Amino acid sequence: MERVRAKFWQWGLIRGVWCGCSILYNRGVYPEESFGKVKKYGLPMLLTQDKAVKTFLTNLTSQLSEWLEGGKLQRIVLVIMSKATGEVLERWNFNIITDGEVVEKGAVKEKSDKEIMREIQAIMRQVNSCISFLPCLDEPCIFDVLAYTDSDTTVPFTWMESDAKLIENPQMVKLHSFDTKIHKVDTLVSYKVDDLDEQ
Amino acid sequence: MQIKLNKEIDSRISAESSSASAKESVKELERAMQRSSENSEREKKALQKELSYMKDDSKLSISKLNAELERMSLRAQNSEKEAKMLNEQLEDLKKQLNECLREKNETELRLLDSAPLSVQRNPTDDQKLIKLLQEELRNYEKEVHEARRLKSSHTNVELLSEKLLEEQSRRKRAETELSKLQEIEAKAQKLELELASCTSLLGNIPDVSSYSNIADLQRQALTDLNKLGEVTSRLKELEVTLEFAEISKQRAEGEATLAKERAESASREVKRLELLLTAVSEERDRLRKDHNMLSNQKTRDGDDMSSKKMESDLSQMEKVVRELETTLHEQRELISQQHAELNLMNEKLSIEARKAKSLEREGDQLRSQVALLESKLGHGDYSASSTKVLRMVNTLAMDSEAKQTIEALQAELKKTKERLQAIEELKGQADAGTVVDANVAEKLAQLKNQVATLEKREERYKAVFLERISVFRKACCSLFGYQIVMNDEQQPNGIHVTRFTLQSVYAQTDDEKLEFLYESGSTNIVVNGYTSQHEIAQQVDIFIRKMNSIPAFTANLTMESFNKRSIC
Repeated sequence: MERVRAKFWQWGLIRGVWCGCSILYNRGVYPEESFGKVKKYGLPMLLTQDKAVKTFLTNLTSQLSEWLEGGKLQRIVLVIMSKATGEVLERWNFNIITDGEVVEKGAVKEKSDKEIMREIQAIMRQVNSCISFLPCLDEPCIFDVLAYTDSDTTVPFTWMESDAKLIENPQMVKLHSFDTKIHKVDTLVSYKVDDLDEQ
Repeated sequence: MQIKLNKEIDSRISAESSSASAKESVKELERAMQRSSENSEREKKALQKELSYMKDDSKLSISKLNAELERMSLRAQNSEKEAKMLNEQLEDLKKQLNECLREKNETELRLLDSAPLSVQRNPTDDQKLIKLLQEELRNYEKEVHEARRLKSSHTNVELLSEKLLEEQSRRKRAETELSKLQEIEAKAQKLELELASCTSLLGNIPDVSSYSNIADLQRQALTDLNKLGEVTSRLKELEVTLEFAEISKQRAEGEATLAKERAESASREVKRLELLLTAVSEERDRLRKDHNMLSNQKTRDGDDMSSKKMESDLSQMEKVVRELETTLHEQRELISQQHAELNLMNEKLSIEARKAKSLEREGDQLRSQVALLESKLGHGDYSASSTKVLRMVNTLAMDSEAKQTIEALQAELKKTKERLQAIEELKGQADAGTVVDANVAEKLAQLKNQVATLEKREERYKAVFLERISVFRKACCSLFGYQIVMNDEQQPNGIHVTRFTLQSVYAQTDDEKLEFLYESGSTNIVVNGYTSQHEIAQQVDIFIRKMNSIPAFTANLTMESFNKRSIC
């Protein structure tokens, strides 16, 4: 039972890291040469080789998985901002709805590895397809990750409260949601409308 | 040549006119292109709006259809159950009727067998009665059969008529849709021809740059048309499902009416059975009377056994009749219960229909709320009472900034270390700090004394110079007869010049002054009011300009002024 639960949370962590790396790669936040192709679990994946980004992501995902197991995590938002001005250009919003039975009673709802792989592939395809309509990021950008948690969650010392880093009058595109029998994740990307597109 | 010139001019004019016309045509085409693009954009927007409306409408209609289908299926199931119940009841009633008829026949036969003597007396009346009853029963049965056949044929006819109407309506709809399709195809062909003409015109004009935009607009229009087609196909599918639902609804209603009619026919048959029973009971009473008459006659004749048998048969008949009456009563109660249940079901259906409508309204409201919430979620809004937004303290941006500040601080550290080393080297070159300070103070005192002495000397020199220069001036004045005043000036061109102002000792007025400018070895006279006088100007011309001798001029001037003085 514990192995299955551990395996599930591990898959969730992996899924989150791969999704974040694919977004960073596709949006050009970091140069292509800073990503390395790695084959894991039968899938060729692009993972960042930057040490600072790696350590940041590992620290981040460990805390997020802890909150996930406790059912405290409501939403994860990956924010892409201009390095020069700090203006928020894109928000990748992952809204998480957790099955209370799993968290409270420890019920196990198994899922095969094949199904999990298919879901990961579907997520990657969705992220890659967003390039066709998202505006180009011509200036150097940085990213940050926001976690929407329950109000009674204790804040670790490496974390702090923050504003929501919203975009004024954004354009929103809803992607397909996916269900893991324990979590239902609704994906939505909101972005700042390009001035040329407005004209 | 002139002709050629004229021809060339004409050709140029024609070329210019053609170019102007071409430009105008280009402008018109560009305007037309803009209009077409604007129209296409408007159409696209309108199509998109229509698509969204159609999608919403289709979703709503789908949900409504599903609810109606469920309702109709439930109704059909209920009506089927009721029909089954009624059929079972009919079959039971038929069985009971048949049993009654058989028992009647048996009793009649027994009566015929057991009472030959009584028949002898009044055989013709009883036989006639029985025959009449039998004939009546047969006639009733025939009528019942004919009524049932008529009803079945009538229902079949009704169903066939309904089917015919449905098919006619389908034909009409298909015909209208075909006509619409033809119209749409014609419009599409016209638009395609117009687009082809525009593209051909644009291809001929070299400077038009919006060709690719037209192609993109075409593609977008085609995709929008495809989407429209898909939506229309979905709408048609929904219409087909609606028709099927209506048909099923009509069938269920027909079956319900059939079931009601069957119930009514069953009730009528029950009534007829009751009438038959009353008739049978009346006949029984008559037979009893006859039997009593016969039995009285038999006692007279001495035949008791057969009468007992007749009595037992009659009692059995009475029991059967009572049983039939009880079953009839029960069936009446069942029918009344079924009617009440039907009424309750109808009321429940109406209540559920109202509930369904209210639920639809709530569903629409919820959908709008969900859309609003989804937009808010996408925007990132949240309630502070239930949610906290957290981020890591040491973000990558912070790390990079920290690294930059660290590097800057390290660079400053290096610079300060280098400065410290240089200062220490300088300190090492000097022997001791206190010795340097003492020498510096002595030097300062010496320098100050020197400065004081030099200042004194300067003052002495100035004083001596003033004395000497005043003596020199006085001597020059007494020797040469002129008071000389020397002033330094700076001309506008920046050159420093010395101005000498001479006034003769023998001058009669203060205005009699001569001015000379001395510059780098050359002396020039300055023209003023005194030198511009006629006599002085002549002397200036003679002595200075012609003879180039200022001393001769000044000497001559002193002699003249002396002569004037001595004369006066």
